[in-house]
Amino acid sequence: MRQAVILAAGEGQRLRPFTATKPKAMLNIAGKPILEYVIESLAQNGIRSIVLVVGYRKEQIFDYIGSGKQFGVDITYITQEKQLGSAHALTQAKGVTENEFLVLSGGNLIEPNTIAQFVGLKPEAVLAKRVNNPIRYGVLTIEEGVVKKIDEKPKQPKSNIINTGIYAFTTNIFRFTEPELNIPDALNNMLTQGYPINAQETDGTWLDVLYPWDILSLNDVVVRRIRAKLGGTIETGVSVKGLVSVGKNTVMRSNSYIAGPVIIGDNCDIGPNVCILPATSIGDNVVISPFTEIKNSVIGDDVNIGPGCIIQDSVIDKGCVIKGHFAACGGEAEVKINDEYHKVSMGVMLGEGCSLGNNVVAQPGVIMGNYSQVQALKLIGGRLPDRSLIF
Amino acid sequence: MCGIIGYIGERQAHPILLGCLKRLEYRGYDSCGIAIAGNSINVYKNTVRAEELRKAAPQLDGTLGIGHTRWATHGQPSQANAHPHCDCDGKIAVVHNGIITNFQGLKQKLIHEGHKFISETDTEIIPHLIEKYYRGDLERAVEAALDDIEGSYAIIVLMASEDKLVAARKDSPLIIGLGDRENFIASDVPAILDYTNRVIYLEEGDMGVVTKDNIKIRRDGIEINREEHKISWSVDEAQRGGYEHFMLKEIHEQPRVIRDTLVGRVSVAEPTVDLAAMRDKGIESMLILACGTSYHAALTGKYIIEELLRIPVRVELASEFICYGQTLTGTEAIVITQSGETADILRAMRRLKEVGCQVLAITNVVGSTASRIADQTIYTRAGPEISVAATKSFMAQLMVLYWLIMSYSKVDSRRLASMLLALRQMPSKVQQVLNNGYKILEHANNLSGYDNVFFIARGINFPIALEGALKLKEISYIHAEGYAAGELKHGPFALLRSDTPVIAIVAQDNTYEAMLTNIREIKARSSPVIALAEEGDEVIGGLVDSVITVPQVDAIFSPVVNTVALQLLAYYTAKQRGCPIDFPRNLAKSVTVE
Repeated sequence: MRQAVILAAGEGQRLRPFTATKPKAMLNIAGKPILEYVIESLAQNGIRSIVLVVGYRKEQIFDYIGSGKQFGVDITYITQEKQLGSAHALTQAKGVTENEFLVLSGGNLIEPNTIAQFVGLKPEAVLAKRVNNPIRYGVLTIEEGVVKKIDEKPKQPKSNIINTGIYAFTTNIFRFTEPELNIPDALNNMLTQGYPINAQETDGTWLDVLYPWDILSLNDVVVRRIRAKLGGTIETGVSVKGLVSVGKNTVMRSNSYIAGPVIIGDNCDIGPNVCILPATSIGDNVVISPFTEIKNSVIGDDVNIGPGCIIQDSVIDKGCVIKGHFAACGGEAEVKINDEYHKVSMGVMLGEGCSLGNNVVAQPGVIMGNYSQVQALKLIGGRLPDRSLIF
Repeated sequence: MCGIIGYIGERQAHPILLGCLKRLEYRGYDSCGIAIAGNSINVYKNTVRAEELRKAAPQLDGTLGIGHTRWATHGQPSQANAHPHCDCDGKIAVVHNGIITNFQGLKQKLIHEGHKFISETDTEIIPHLIEKYYRGDLERAVEAALDDIEGSYAIIVLMASEDKLVAARKDSPLIIGLGDRENFIASDVPAILDYTNRVIYLEEGDMGVVTKDNIKIRRDGIEINREEHKISWSVDEAQRGGYEHFMLKEIHEQPRVIRDTLVGRVSVAEPTVDLAAMRDKGIESMLILACGTSYHAALTGKYIIEELLRIPVRVELASEFICYGQTLTGTEAIVITQSGETADILRAMRRLKEVGCQVLAITNVVGSTASRIADQTIYTRAGPEISVAATKSFMAQLMVLYWLIMSYSKVDSRRLASMLLALRQMPSKVQQVLNNGYKILEHANNLSGYDNVFFIARGINFPIALEGALKLKEISYIHAEGYAAGELKHGPFALLRSDTPVIAIVAQDNTYEAMLTNIREIKARSSPVIALAEEGDEVIGGLVDSVITVPQVDAIFSPVVNTVALQLLAYYTAKQRGCPIDFPRNLAKSVTVE
């Protein structure tokens, strides 16, 4: 197997506000977009010819991945103009694939060992994985390494073995994907017509993001596996405990306390007297002012956080400006997405480019749209659309 | 403006030369050609671009050759005028970038001596001069020929039966690339990055003699050493990476370019470049020189300096500055040049140095001629720019100016802190404009049907109106003019009709009310008006036909977001009109001739 097709055209609509400006594959987990984990895993398994099917906000992928040279792979871009489904996306790549190829989603985080065995399997094949909550996926019935049946999103799943959306195909697959919109439907047609589909189970990492707060749990898993490095300037009196990675040109000012796993990007200005606690990822060009505590959170590029803030279990996207004494503490909350209620434990989910005045307090479970503005001394709660003005 | 390349080694020269020429096309592309030395010299050239030449050319056998992609200065683009040029016997071939000013006289003399000329070019005299002086030592002959020549040149000479290339430069760039049992000579680094990242920059007046495993550099007949540089960037950055055009790719790179250009610079506003005069006694005035798009960055710089430093600034076009005499004393001068090779800039710099000016260069090309003439250089970290229309390099120039001036600014610390915060937010604000590209596309589709467009603004955005008009005209071929809004009534009003759209930049600063008045005047002449206005401006929508919104920023940084919006507008307009966006007709990337 020498080639892979990565499907990265989709938005991930349930992940708004974070996907209003970027595709799901470009969500940042522990300092890198999900797509980069997928590409790295392929490269490490010797697959360096990659067809990337892009669509929604494809420029974000072009800007980051480019020709692929810096990741050691060659990328061919194919555009899916309308995001109609995975089979439709794959069909767009017809004509540029070799005879055998892998198919993966750019929106599921994997690691090299996840597919190490699978790349040797004979097509057509599907990679399976046991998960705790299979009802959102295609549940597989497997007998002696061969797929018997795929039940899409069953109300009462027969097992907890699901389809990861990672496949090994030959060009035969296009006969089945062309008339369908989704790959599982194409596979079921194959099964009905008597074509065998092999299955292999992996115990490697395979993580999906369905809702905004899933970013935190993925980050928690992946940030534990970063490589420690201390770039930039670490002033005297800074305590660094555990696994910590600090990027180049970042300044960590006196008396700051960093307890890993923590990853901090390039060109940040942090402290003095800042406390960054486990499972936190901080992007590039971020400023964190004195006496702020950040815990189990993901902070995007160009964010500016004022003095005396408490930020827990939160995701703060690119370019937010937060003045002093912002309080976003984690806690139980009920959040409504697409008419479904979810009981979650989280702080806030803050979209891109928001601006918060001094002493804003956020109730647990706030999801605030991109480019929103909040005046000083406001209490915010619930779900707020893009460009909300809270005065 | 031309690009030249030479190869000597063990591989077939033909495909390597054509590959390198393709990367040099930004320097000109009206014709190209190659010469390969086997037992004799075989030349193949035509009025086509490298890709077509690759398809059309017969396979020329040999491991030693030269190539050229041309930008016509003397003589029409034609097969005869394309390089390489040869001597009478076809034994010596030369490629040349530059202009020989005394070629008419030399040509008459050579014709009188019996030499036969085929082309109208200045270059052709070089192989004939070398032929004239050749007595068995090619280097001597080249030196003698160059002694006769006045003007600028970077040349590579190839001679049948000689297993080497001879190269020389004066006022035109030239580098040597060091490979493993092979070596390269090229106008610039990206041309050869597919093959090697070790280069030697030739200096003014250097002559290089290159064989497949040896480099000799001579100056005034004496052998000297030149330092080897390792290039850290890759050709990757010079590829399109998914985008249809380099221009759109480079527009989208701007958030990263801003971050890169400001890396390590904006933490605290402490000066890292030592403008000696400013430090010691404070200076009374400043001179900024530039050409083209860089001139618009310079004009923006004038507004920033006058606001933050409170000193008068004079901005001059380098091409004008070199034409007439002014009184200059030892003032501080800044020159802004993307390539660092713009001929007018280099001449102006030499003149400034002669009268004792301190010259600070802002350029994108490490090791460029400008950086070597200047007392100090600040590099914009934009990476190589391929599209002829400058976008990210302009942005990087603006960022350097902001940062440089802020580090010397005399404003109070509260204002400075808020500006530093705003500067750090620029990558995100620019990304916000880019994310809005789909909406700008609609405005562009509408604009593409017109033949004349005016761009107006006041204050710090006036240079951005000029830049917006320049971008539109150079890539979409729509006639566009940038005007200070207050000047419209002194003439251009006569041109305003319902088919003359006006694009008005409306910033939230002290020009706002005046701009609204100007827009009302224009609407009274029934011209369609497109406004560039900040998000949250409730008034503007009622006055104009359509609004392109840009994110709210501190007014002093409004040029940044407005520039990006106008770049996208120009790009999509040109695309709608089906123009060859990356290589507009009659234009070359940097102008290395006067």
